[in-house]
Amino acid sequence: MAILEARDVTKTYDTRGVETPALRGVSLAIEPGEFSALAGPSGSGKTTLLNLFGALDVPTSGEVFLEGQALGGRSGSELAALRLEKLGFVFQAYNLIPVLTARENVEFVMELQGVKPAERRERAERLLAEVGLAELGSKRPLEMSGGQQQRVAVARAIASGPRIVLADEPTANLDSTTAGQLLDLMHRMNRERGVTFLFSTHDPQVIEKASRVVRLHDGRVAADERR
Amino acid sequence: MGTWRIAWRNVFRNPRRTLIVVTAIAVGVGGAVFAMAINYGMVFQMVENAIDRDLGHLQIHAPGYGDDPGIAHRLAGGGAEVVRALEAEPAVRAFAPRLRGQALVFSPRASAGAELVGVEPEREREVTRIAESLSQGRYLGSSRRRVLVGAVLARRLTVKIGDKIVISVQDASGDLTGEAFRIAGIFDTASRDFDGGTIFLPLASAQALYGVGDDLSELVVVAHDRSEVEPLRDDLAARLDGKAEVRSWDQTQPLLRYMVELFDQMGWIVYGAVFVAMAFGIANVMLMAVHERIREIGILTAVGMRPRRLVGMIALESVVLTVIGLLLGLGLGLWAVASLQDGIDLSRWGEGLSDFGVGARIVPTLRRADLVIPAVAAAITALLAGLWPALRAARLRPAEAVRHT
Repeated sequence: MAILEARDVTKTYDTRGVETPALRGVSLAIEPGEFSALAGPSGSGKTTLLNLFGALDVPTSGEVFLEGQALGGRSGSELAALRLEKLGFVFQAYNLIPVLTARENVEFVMELQGVKPAERRERAERLLAEVGLAELGSKRPLEMSGGQQQRVAVARAIASGPRIVLADEPTANLDSTTAGQLLDLMHRMNRERGVTFLFSTHDPQVIEKASRVVRLHDGRVAADERR
Repeated sequence: MGTWRIAWRNVFRNPRRTLIVVTAIAVGVGGAVFAMAINYGMVFQMVENAIDRDLGHLQIHAPGYGDDPGIAHRLAGGGAEVVRALEAEPAVRAFAPRLRGQALVFSPRASAGAELVGVEPEREREVTRIAESLSQGRYLGSSRRRVLVGAVLARRLTVKIGDKIVISVQDASGDLTGEAFRIAGIFDTASRDFDGGTIFLPLASAQALYGVGDDLSELVVVAHDRSEVEPLRDDLAARLDGKAEVRSWDQTQPLLRYMVELFDQMGWIVYGAVFVAMAFGIANVMLMAVHERIREIGILTAVGMRPRRLVGMIALESVVLTVIGLLLGLGLGLWAVASLQDGIDLSRWGEGLSDFGVGARIVPTLRRADLVIPAVAAAITALLAGLWPALRAARLRPAEAVRHT
């Protein structure tokens, strides 16, 4: 069974009476364990599709499935609960809560899940060590570099134990070396933990690393390359 | 815990803005507390002055006196049955007999209407402070021809200590009669009305003037504690079983009670205005805070924070901000009240205040409700003011919020 599936999904934005189609009848299935990328130029619909997979938005028509469950017709609260249990997110920037330390950011999602304090602290410290930031647990985001912040974001995305991590341009604000290190980290998570990773990107490093690249153009799937 | 931690730290994220808002709340609450203390100080003084001056805690009259106050309705035989009832009540500290009636007063230069109050001087001292209100002369003694006159009345009649006045009354039989008296003392209370229309004289003189034997108009009573007044009133009424009318001070002077209520309502209007202004200020600050953190709110929603929890977090920020301002404001108000316990001199407005029976020096006085109610109101204000921005935040679409610039 596909872990993520879009069936004939369209998304049209209505901005002050002007309709802008972002997706035009996209059907796509992502299998468990994939390390895949949605690629394409700006406006191709890759971020829109990622948002729909992540239950951050709703399609204008069509249906989106997460582990076989349809996302349509659910309340904001139900979608938030699904995201908490099944999804992790890494965004391009401003991933972290500025007033929380690195460890508190990682712990936060576990607290939302109801994990006990001692356990979530132990898991947070273990995850920070796993991403190479054991010594930065008490630092706030402003005290860290961009690359360090993205590593903490990865740790937080994994902390809730999701089966899927959605990453929207995670390397866009990083230099190539740091981007490469981040990518390696996420690839390791994919191999060692079996977490499915789906990127929205136009970074050649990410596209190179991905085992499957779905190219979007003008809101449609233009190509689907498996490697 | 995480929600509380985020809310608490967000309050101090923009120190300058927090300081401005907290100061505004503190000044508003402190000012309102102080205004309420002044307000209540005036009310308290107004009531205490009236009780100490003339009313006592309770007044007991013959049946029918309340509808037709006058010499016609009297407690016969010195009110013996009422006296027995009062002596049996442990809550009674003291009581004194009086005879009241209307009179015309003549001096060599002028005349005026006045109310005569016949009293037993030493017993009257135990229930009112008229003896301590003398600004000139001496208190009533053994002489039956000496009277006390209010300062305003004395000026109206252009008389001074030792001068003779003639008091003319319609006695109990309906005949006009009069006698001459000399002024022993002039009293000056905080009430212009009282000082302009009251004459005290020995009870026996008043009884002789009106031809009523040993009958009384009233017995004025003071209790050991103000809190015992209403139960005492009810006890006495039950004990006397319709043989006399028993009224507490606010029933004897409904106008005074209405004044008290009016002052109270004015005070609450001030509080209400302060809290409404505070609500808008807090809502404005929280709207700005939410707008600045749209992206962050998007992240919180994306990682799985439910809308209800998000609303609670932002409302909590609003409450924390308000509580800090409230505590500072209460402290400020309390300090202002404590530092002015010698009273505030309002003699510039003295003449106007005396119309309400209030002296020129007001001591700000706080009641427990004046502190508890603002605290509760502030918490409710904070919740409501923070709710609107919080609901706006919860309605943000996560996909748009995370990409907000």
